[in-house]
Amino acid sequence: MSSGRCAACRYLRRRCTQDCILSPYFPSNNPQRFASVHRIYGASNVTKLLQRLPTHLRSEAADSLYFEAQCRLEDPVYGCVGLIFLLQQQIHSAESQLIKTQAEIAVMKSQTQHPQTQPFRAISGSNNLLLQQSDNDANLIFSNQVSSGFI
Amino acid sequence: MGSGSSPCASCKLLRRRCAKDCIFAPYFPSDDPHKFAIVHKVFGASNVSKMLQELPVQQRADAVSSLVYEANARVRDPVYGCVGAISYLQNQVSQLQMQLAVAQTEILCIQMQHHQDDSALALPTQMQHHDDDDYKPFLLPTTHNLDNISQYINFASSSNVIQDPAATVKRESLWT
Repeated sequence: MSSGRCAACRYLRRRCTQDCILSPYFPSNNPQRFASVHRIYGASNVTKLLQRLPTHLRSEAADSLYFEAQCRLEDPVYGCVGLIFLLQQQIHSAESQLIKTQAEIAVMKSQTQHPQTQPFRAISGSNNLLLQQSDNDANLIFSNQVSSGFI
Repeated sequence: MGSGSSPCASCKLLRRRCAKDCIFAPYFPSDDPHKFAIVHKVFGASNVSKMLQELPVQQRADAVSSLVYEANARVRDPVYGCVGAISYLQNQVSQLQMQLAVAQTEILCIQMQHHQDDSALALPTQMQHHDDDDYKPFLLPTTHNLDNISQYINFASSSNVIQDPAATVKRESLWT
């Protein structure tokens, strides 16, 4: 009996029936996957969530639950939201860099038409400046969030 | 806290007495029942309680905010939750990196053109090495989280079902 159980039923120490909703997504060869999801969401919440979805979407849902559970285990305060915030900061920084670089291209092209003597060598310095500014902005945002309180 | 006054939103929903040291009370006031309801729906009260107990007090407010955010995302998108937004943002970062690399290459070309036109310091090989050091494309920092997490992301990028996460991310701030 024990060899036929999925990771979920093995973890929960129950019989794994043929129509076990969790078994396709939590195979017995990866017990850590269910353990992570169970620790954050709980087996019954995961079961309810998957039951509400059409069968062809459950695999993706189980994967995303596992991903978010892993994020939360690695970062108990922010979970995957920390990653979202980091990406938003990177997008903001990259957009600023891109705008600046494109402006420099425009200036250099106009210099080609109207030659001047000063070459542009500002990029590495300005990259550092932008990165520093974005770091400071990140610090400001976090402290504002903490001080404003979400109680 | 809720012992003398009305119970917190958690104890009200769970129909229990709100103790003086109720772990939920500081973060789930009675005037916002939806906040706890959605967190309870996705994570479960006992899981949230365990998570908060494992954190120092000064970090619990942020933890609750992130749990509320995740729970809202999961209710809005039961298949992908926050992962949909993460996948979308990563694609945006990749596109911006490519655009930046193209722009920086264009600057290189224009500068080489200038030097060739001047023909004063025409040393293309040396310039190439020097400029490669200066003009590094913007790269994602390899944080611990990203290194460990990137392996899990492939399924999201291959899917066509990204239900307008841009609107989701833009519409609400990080701590709605």
